[in-house]
Amino acid sequence: MLVIGRKRDEAIVIGDGIEIRVLRSGRDGVKLGVTAPPSVSVHRREIYDLIRAENQWAARHSADLPQLVSRLRGRSATRTE
Amino acid sequence: MMQPNSPVAQTQPPDTGGDTVELVPREEDIVTFPGGLPGFESCRRFVVMSPGEAPPLQCLQGLDASRPTFLTIDPALVLRRYRRVLSPADRLRLEAREDDTLLWMAVVTCGVDETATVNLRAPIVINPRVMIGFQVMPHQSLYPIRHPLKL
Repeated sequence: MLVIGRKRDEAIVIGDGIEIRVLRSGRDGVKLGVTAPPSVSVHRREIYDLIRAENQWAARHSADLPQLVSRLRGRSATRTE
Repeated sequence: MMQPNSPVAQTQPPDTGGDTVELVPREEDIVTFPGGLPGFESCRRFVVMSPGEAPPLQCLQGLDASRPTFLTIDPALVLRRYRRVLSPADRLRLEAREDDTLLWMAVVTCGVDETATVNLRAPIVINPRVMIGFQVMPHQSLYPIRHPLKL
């Protein structure tokens, strides 16, 4: 990991057109300003991780589609003839 | 009137009960997700399917990598007043014009305890005109990742 010291109002530039600037820093955190092209998505790490975990869980348990549909509709699993 | 690009393929989902069924979608039914989905970043191509027995549920089937399958539902069917909010950057990414009708899908998750929830926090949005989709992750949202689902 590259570690760079920055003071308030100082910035770093990543690649082409991404800038991260320290707007404020204090005892309990820093406030960052991110400038990036629209094609680059920016997320809080913990939110991204939650959504990724939810997607992975959803995909892992999607195999039993007919059973799930029956269950959601409050019926027992469809009997196969 | 001709139906414009419909993202819903007239295909049944693969029968997961038996041997794997090879799904061969038509080129025009394939939706491109330029960044994949969180957790499935290398899966860029998906098809939307409507399982005959399961409306209003739909199936989002990945065609690359581990070929993930998601069960989805229109979030407006879960919450009638669901607010469909896109940032200008989101609209740009979807190449969305004013008159484009976008397809909104919320991912359904099965709990281990006979319950199901739906992710209203990060809906998947597809622009059928250009067949591009992505999962929207607004910085602020009124909605939870796990909203209880009842049909």
